[in-house]
Amino acid sequence: MKDSVKPFVVLIGLLVLWHTLVMAFEMPSYILPGPLAVANSMVENASLLWEHTLVTLSEMLLGLLLGVLLGIILALVLVYFTALRPWLLPPLLITQAIPVFALAPILMLWFGYGLTSKVVMTILVIFFPVATCCYDGLRHTHQGWLDMAQTMGGNRLAILRHIRWPAALPALASGLRVAVVVAPIGAVVGEWVGSSAGLGYLMLQANARLWTDQMFAALTVLAFCSVTLYYTTDRVLRRLIPWQPETSQE
Amino acid sequence: MNKLMRHTFLWAMAWLLSVSLQASASQVSSTAPARELKELTLMLEWFVNPDHGPIIIARQNGYFADQGLTVTIQEPADPNLPPKLVAAEKVDLAVYYQPSMIHGVANGLPLAWAGTLVATPLDGLLVLDDSPIKSLKDMKGKTIGLNIGGIENAILDTLFAPYGFGAGDVKLVNVGWNLSSSLMSGRVDAIMGAYRNFELNQLAIEGRKGRMFYYEENNIPPYDELIFIANSKQHDKDAIRRFLRAIELGTQYIVNNPEKSWEIFRDYSPEKLDNELNRRAWFDTIPRFDLRPAARDAGRYQAFADYLQATGELKTQVNTKDYMLDF
Repeated sequence: MKDSVKPFVVLIGLLVLWHTLVMAFEMPSYILPGPLAVANSMVENASLLWEHTLVTLSEMLLGLLLGVLLGIILALVLVYFTALRPWLLPPLLITQAIPVFALAPILMLWFGYGLTSKVVMTILVIFFPVATCCYDGLRHTHQGWLDMAQTMGGNRLAILRHIRWPAALPALASGLRVAVVVAPIGAVVGEWVGSSAGLGYLMLQANARLWTDQMFAALTVLAFCSVTLYYTTDRVLRRLIPWQPETSQE
Repeated sequence: MNKLMRHTFLWAMAWLLSVSLQASASQVSSTAPARELKELTLMLEWFVNPDHGPIIIARQNGYFADQGLTVTIQEPADPNLPPKLVAAEKVDLAVYYQPSMIHGVANGLPLAWAGTLVATPLDGLLVLDDSPIKSLKDMKGKTIGLNIGGIENAILDTLFAPYGFGAGDVKLVNVGWNLSSSLMSGRVDAIMGAYRNFELNQLAIEGRKGRMFYYEENNIPPYDELIFIANSKQHDKDAIRRFLRAIELGTQYIVNNPEKSWEIFRDYSPEKLDNELNRRAWFDTIPRFDLRPAARDAGRYQAFADYLQATGELKTQVNTKDYMLDF
């Protein structure tokens, strides 16, 4: 079976399992609506869902872009400015130790209830996996390659560009894969705490009105965005970094 | 011989005494059997606060036990959880909001009104006293922070209707539980979902003064802020009746003894409840408690459901006979 087909087979399998469970246990829709009820709600609320999906997607993508950039810059600083490392690491760890949910209300008051606070939340969630993966990749460059580059008279910038950076890319790719999966958490938690649009906002509204099918419809769209984002990122990364271990094994 | 007779006599007397005691004990138990306590689980809509005064007083003063009840009080993580747990028969009773219960019934949840706790709206549209918003007509184009309750659009349409605009002419922002802070920080111009007995006091404690546009004074049909809900299909009417009797006694005690009842409430969980906000809220909530929690006003409930129906908030029509228990 083709690799590109497998996720769809899994998806259909999950939908069948979901439908069977709902039918077998006669679950009322307020506990778990069946896939057909959710699909129906998705069709009924298509324009509403689309409108709110665009908001959440823009928060996620902007957060991803800035978070990845920040993560890479941080990794480079940690590798090349070793004196700063003991000063930077503790605050970095603190940002990860505090649950974003606890921090969110304060961020809303600082940055307002618009796009900025959600982007900041997304950045907070994703910059750390990107930074640590990239940092690890940069640190663990094969010593033989570095020695050879130095012997050949390469300066620091040339070594970074031609040796360290390409060698670190597979590790950075792992960080990116984690980042795209967790990015919706940042955006949606932000929307839960303060927003006037987005899938998280729509979920809150549906929950308050006990419209469980609409809540699941929003959740399904969010899951679809995450999965699409993951597979797109994965595909792009495989193409851009053909020397990744998992790519080269195939 | 005398000694033997005396011993025999004493033995006989002791035996007779023990037999008669046993007999009288069994007689007592057969005429008045020890009442078995009925267990009820009650889920609140939020953590314990002065809005739950009669429940806590009924428990602390032993009114539940007097009614033959053991009531386990649970606090939810999400205010929208109680109706689902009642519908799924995981809890016997829950505290919930009247408008939201009607939403639930319209969406097919087997919920029923089973008594009233707070008999007036507590919510209102709150602005800072020094705000340029002097009247509801000044709200056009302003930002309103809210904690989504589900009927905001209907309420705002009604509030603004006399001035020729509606909910679409203001910006609504979900601010979660940051109601007071978002208003004080100027992030929003007004808040809804704020309670007159809490947020107004919270602002005062922070040195700010708030002004509230009360719903019931601005064309919104009156409703009960907090009610007890039960499963409409599976419920023990007798136990609920006894539960409401205990709540009634709790409310009466609070109204008759405001200061003493505050002390009893505070001592239920001093580390959480003994603070200035709760103390002020306690006295402001007293006139809001329903003195007749079991009293059923079907006409008033139908009027509110009709209002929701007319504003497009309800997808299907609901009838009070389907969702109000009759005592």
